[in-house]
Amino acid sequence: MNRRSRGSSSSSSSGSVGGASDSYRRRSDVPRNRSNDNTKGGDSADVSFIVGTCSSMCPERERVTRERLRDLSVFERLHGNPTKSSSDLAVKKFCRTLSAADVQASDVRPLSVLEETLSYLLSLLDSREHPFEVVHDFIFDRTRSIRQDLSIQNLASEGVIHLYEEIVKFHVISRQRLQGCSGTSISSMHHLNMEQLAKTLTTLYNIYDANRKPDYIYENEAEFRSLYVLLHLNTSSGVMGEPLSLWFRKLTSNLIKSKEMCFVRKLLRSYRNGNYRSFLRTTASEATYLQYCISEPHIREMRSFAVECINNVCYKLQPYPLLRLSHNLMMKEMDVESLCHECGLEIRTDSDGSIVLPTKQTNFCRPKEGFRNYDLIGIEVERLL
Amino acid sequence: MAYVSMGEAHRRITEYLNRFCGAVSYQDSPMLCRLLSFSSNSPSLLSLADALNVFQDASILIRQSDKFSEYGEILAHLFRSLQSYRFGNLVEAYLAFEKFANAFVQEFRNWESAWALEALYVVCYEIRILAEKADKELTSNGKSPEKLKAAGSLLMKVFGVLAGKGPKRVGALYVTCQLFKTYFKLGTVNLCRSVIRSIETARIFDYEEFPRRDKVTYMYYTGRLEVFNENFPAADTKLSYALQHCNPKRERNIRMILKYLIPVKLSLGIIPKDELLQKYNLHEYMNVVQALRKGDLRLLRHALQEHEDRFLRSGVYLVLEKLELQVYQRLMKKIYIIQKLSDPARAHQLKLEVIAKALRWLEIDMDLDEVECIMTILIYKNLVKGYLAHKSKVVVLSKQDPFPKLNGKPVGS
Repeated sequence: MNRRSRGSSSSSSSGSVGGASDSYRRRSDVPRNRSNDNTKGGDSADVSFIVGTCSSMCPERERVTRERLRDLSVFERLHGNPTKSSSDLAVKKFCRTLSAADVQASDVRPLSVLEETLSYLLSLLDSREHPFEVVHDFIFDRTRSIRQDLSIQNLASEGVIHLYEEIVKFHVISRQRLQGCSGTSISSMHHLNMEQLAKTLTTLYNIYDANRKPDYIYENEAEFRSLYVLLHLNTSSGVMGEPLSLWFRKLTSNLIKSKEMCFVRKLLRSYRNGNYRSFLRTTASEATYLQYCISEPHIREMRSFAVECINNVCYKLQPYPLLRLSHNLMMKEMDVESLCHECGLEIRTDSDGSIVLPTKQTNFCRPKEGFRNYDLIGIEVERLL
Repeated sequence: MAYVSMGEAHRRITEYLNRFCGAVSYQDSPMLCRLLSFSSNSPSLLSLADALNVFQDASILIRQSDKFSEYGEILAHLFRSLQSYRFGNLVEAYLAFEKFANAFVQEFRNWESAWALEALYVVCYEIRILAEKADKELTSNGKSPEKLKAAGSLLMKVFGVLAGKGPKRVGALYVTCQLFKTYFKLGTVNLCRSVIRSIETARIFDYEEFPRRDKVTYMYYTGRLEVFNENFPAADTKLSYALQHCNPKRERNIRMILKYLIPVKLSLGIIPKDELLQKYNLHEYMNVVQALRKGDLRLLRHALQEHEDRFLRSGVYLVLEKLELQVYQRLMKKIYIIQKLSDPARAHQLKLEVIAKALRWLEIDMDLDEVECIMTILIYKNLVKGYLAHKSKVVVLSKQDPFPKLNGKPVGS
């Protein structure tokens, strides 16, 4: 339920960089509620947050309004009727222009309802009726609304942590599955998805920090913290803004020594030293599904880098067999062919019938930023939700 | 706590009030500094605090004279803060000092000349220190620490007051450094960006005008920021400046600068002498340096593990990790030198098998694929000159300068 924070923040200070309206706020940071103006003193014990009372996934008055305005998503329509929904199907929409003053308790869903709502939304991920972009779009918006309700009520219990973790998972899985989609809006969907992933992670980290008992880490905290590292392998692409060296300073000792953090630190070391063999092998043998999804762009990057290096340094009279390359890069041979072409390199068939990459070609170029990801052969994690 | 009679308390308070107003009237900055420096724990301040406690309501005394009541607000807050400080109520002490500081800065603005700059520095310093103590008190009581953040806002305000055309502007760098210390402590170093931009681009500031001590501190912190962002050439320039201009007697400060300069220099291929490490007690770098000299990868990894906590806290761990490639380079060079002694005609051919064997001696198990991968990278990044004949499983080194030195440039640039 609604746990008031006793904000003991051990050695970490959650200097929240970014996180806008979604970030979890310490009670002392929140502006005083108007009705409490006549109380003196600096203690913020009397700051009150809304306690939501809406008992369905969508507040009744919103559902009625949207039915009237024909503003129902395909998932919310009763028997396909664009003007009729039901309390089982309608889910509260995200409202950008919301200000705390305008919100009524009956519009806000309490934690138990939010849990049911999220459960329902995630069950739609398997729906085959609609193309994934449509499914993603709906869940994207509706989970954003869930986060909004959590934020307004300033909730921060273990149940809340679980909700945020599930939402992060949704964004990560979406990242994966959007790759298989085509269309002009996909790239902006992807961008927005990554943006919300970053925001959700920031909020999640703030909640981990806010109510922490000393030396305690939450069940999944190590894995979710490790995602931050994977999003920042490349120092110049600051997804969430803070240099990694600085970020590591704030981690507690048991987080740093956790299996998940050790794994990403190993990856980080391999990545920064350009060691593609170690990078790929470590990923294949130790990554969890979430970690793998987030690593995909870097797997691609390491593979192109490997091709670049090999093209650059290998003896011209000994063209590099694709079979070997496919083994080194943990890819199918035909995928290697495809990658070489993406890099502007030609391949040819040798006199004994094997396909080779002639080296010292001058047309190498980094492949375009795209979603084309090739399977990682030898990966041990199960590709399930 | 010493017993103080009412009469004695009256005397002490009045004496302080006279000193304060005298300092302001005669623009006696050193005196004013002494009167405001809580953290010095000077006997006179402590005895004043005892007197205030006995007298209870010092505002009567302040109101008694026009001379005193002119600074009534400033003095009232100051006294309240001192009393709380004496009793160890650091949050209360901070809150009152903050109010004092605000009032003082207002007054400072009205003084045309920069006579009170040193006193302003004291106020800035004290507020930061008090805020840190207050936050400790808050945390130990299970509340969230927020006073240092507040002190940061106040310091920004002071910065704004000094960022003008008059003679007061030379104080801006000192305040900047106080801001740096605050942000570094809070972990919100991204906030440094806006002050840096003001100092470095605003036309009113001439960097050379600032006092040397402040320039050294400034370069130290901006140098550290460059280390976080891994801009090694820039970090080298700034930290080296700090080192050169730092007072040689201040060994503690030199050590702090070296703590960050050494990893930077190592990344640029410049290795410090052991005597330097010993003189400034930087033993944590000894094995790292040794590993680089000998090409001992196992030693580097061991050194990183041994001091992992320390290196992570100071933010240099990732920098040191990257030295691996240079260590590999050194190892290859050693193999080459050994081969040259036994079979000069074929020394320039490094068999992957031989490299793997050398690594096994260092207790590092690597299959030939990975050895090939490492050699590929070394050649690509110009740490090794030559080519890889993968079919023959051999690296053929260039006859000329096969292991180029970094010469002050980071690897791979």
